[in-house]
Amino acid sequence: MKYTLTRRDLLRGAAAAVLGTAVGFPQESTAPAKKSRVILIRHKDALDENSQFNEKVIQQMLDEAVMKLLDQSDPVAAFRRLVKPEDVVGIKSNVWSYLPTPPEVEKAVKRRLLDAGVKEESIAIDDHTVRTNPIFVKSTALFNVRPLRTHYLAGMSGCIKNYIMFDVSQPDHHPDSCASLGSLFHLSQVKGKTRLNILCVLTPQYYGRGPHNFSRRYVWNYKGLIVGQDVVAVDTIGLRLLMAKRRIELGPAQEIPPVPKHIRLADTKYGIGTSDLTKIELIKLGWPDEILI
Amino acid sequence: MTDFRESIPKKILDWQATGKDMVYDRKTLFDYMDGGAEVYLAFDFKEAFVRKYQDPAKEEIALDIYDMGSPEEAFGIFSCDRQDPGVGIGQESEYGPGLLRFHQGRYFVSITAAGDEKKAEKAILELGKAVAPLLGPPGARPALLGCLPETGLKKDRTSYFHSAVNLNNRFYLAGDNILNLDARTDCVFAEYEAGGAEAGNLLIIRYPDENRAQAAYRFFNKAYLPPNAAAGAAQAEDRTWTVARVRTNFVAIVFKAPMKDDAERLHSAVRYPRK
Repeated sequence: MKYTLTRRDLLRGAAAAVLGTAVGFPQESTAPAKKSRVILIRHKDALDENSQFNEKVIQQMLDEAVMKLLDQSDPVAAFRRLVKPEDVVGIKSNVWSYLPTPPEVEKAVKRRLLDAGVKEESIAIDDHTVRTNPIFVKSTALFNVRPLRTHYLAGMSGCIKNYIMFDVSQPDHHPDSCASLGSLFHLSQVKGKTRLNILCVLTPQYYGRGPHNFSRRYVWNYKGLIVGQDVVAVDTIGLRLLMAKRRIELGPAQEIPPVPKHIRLADTKYGIGTSDLTKIELIKLGWPDEILI
Repeated sequence: MTDFRESIPKKILDWQATGKDMVYDRKTLFDYMDGGAEVYLAFDFKEAFVRKYQDPAKEEIALDIYDMGSPEEAFGIFSCDRQDPGVGIGQESEYGPGLLRFHQGRYFVSITAAGDEKKAEKAILELGKAVAPLLGPPGARPALLGCLPETGLKKDRTSYFHSAVNLNNRFYLAGDNILNLDARTDCVFAEYEAGGAEAGNLLIIRYPDENRAQAAYRFFNKAYLPPNAAAGAAQAEDRTWTVARVRTNFVAIVFKAPMKDDAERLHSAVRYPRK
């Protein structure tokens, strides 16, 4: 019979099966070099007391994350590992009005691209019009930047789902719990171009209600960024975070958002990264309070 | 839906209608929602009317009126996502921070605050009270609810729907559609209590014919219950019981019953319609 994750699997404590094979994270010191490295960085001042984003702190977080990701000691040098001055760069953002990509994160990425020598006129930030945006059309590099939240169909909206606007038809990806989202990374406008994935967990949303699947009461100030070059590994860590928060707030029975199968399929069917926790090297930096994972 | 639109107030307290009123149908609902459209399309949704309001500080609330095609479908979409206390608006309602939901006749209404929920609360409730009487008389609830045993039933935790996407959002069962649910299946999912404690959940599915019911029952047994489970019953890993039964074109499954006898009692109390 075809594999399906059932409620009974969750009760058995086999929730990790939705992601891969492992239950726990490997330790940083024991991680072999071949693993997909993912950085989780947090800073208690990433948001101020009024929940406003702190641009300076977010820049610092991004810099530290990318330096650690690429074993560099300087943020500009690290970005020079990701782009060349002649690159044409699309920053794929997310404009969903209730929880958009914070402009402070977009600015932080753009600033370092400029520092790395990419020309201003060769950089664009876009979401809904990426298919026709001239910079995105001729792009040689993509940066994938969006917030983490739950989703009625896909279970989770993360960096994999963020590329849905690159396809002609978004509803074509809705059947079977958005199982085909991994295929987006094989589209000609996208394939092989993604240099960095930044899953914003500054204010992630762990549960959704109402017509837009949004209610502010289910958003929390986690004050983090999940950064990596392997989009599936980044989303896998994002899903683990959502599951941990849901377990606390909603109980074990609602630990997993509905059917987040697209993440595992992005690995096993579309081969665009790994969802196997034993193959992910998670490095945690910064503020440790209530880190959850 | 056109007959009452003009009667909806354009100003409520100091919140003024802003922008153009919008209408979305089954083809265009995706333009309005990201992630939620499929949940509505799994019902007999016809069209949605949307109006935004702003206060002087440019805070925004959104009024959404969904024509669900029938009162049963309007109850369905309301019932699948119910968590907050009622506020006496429409046939049934609930209000939690920044979100009012109610149904009236064949319409389901949600009013949401995009920003400061506390500031918007009074306007949201006043707008709801103004809209509800414009939507016509109350409508019937789904007849399938009549199958549910009354004793111990938590009425405000009872949901009606058709598809696996709604079931999984209400009660995660499986990553695949192992009960073969679709637009032609009618489902009720209910929670039960006894003596203040959880007494199990009951899912009743009405299939279009007996063959589909039998096939779904067999597949559920194979996909969900352990291989050695006898007669559609098994103790789950949390020590609660899952017991499935098929009868004519109905499949009924009790989940999370504390004891097998509790599940059997719930099954025996199901009020199947006479042929």
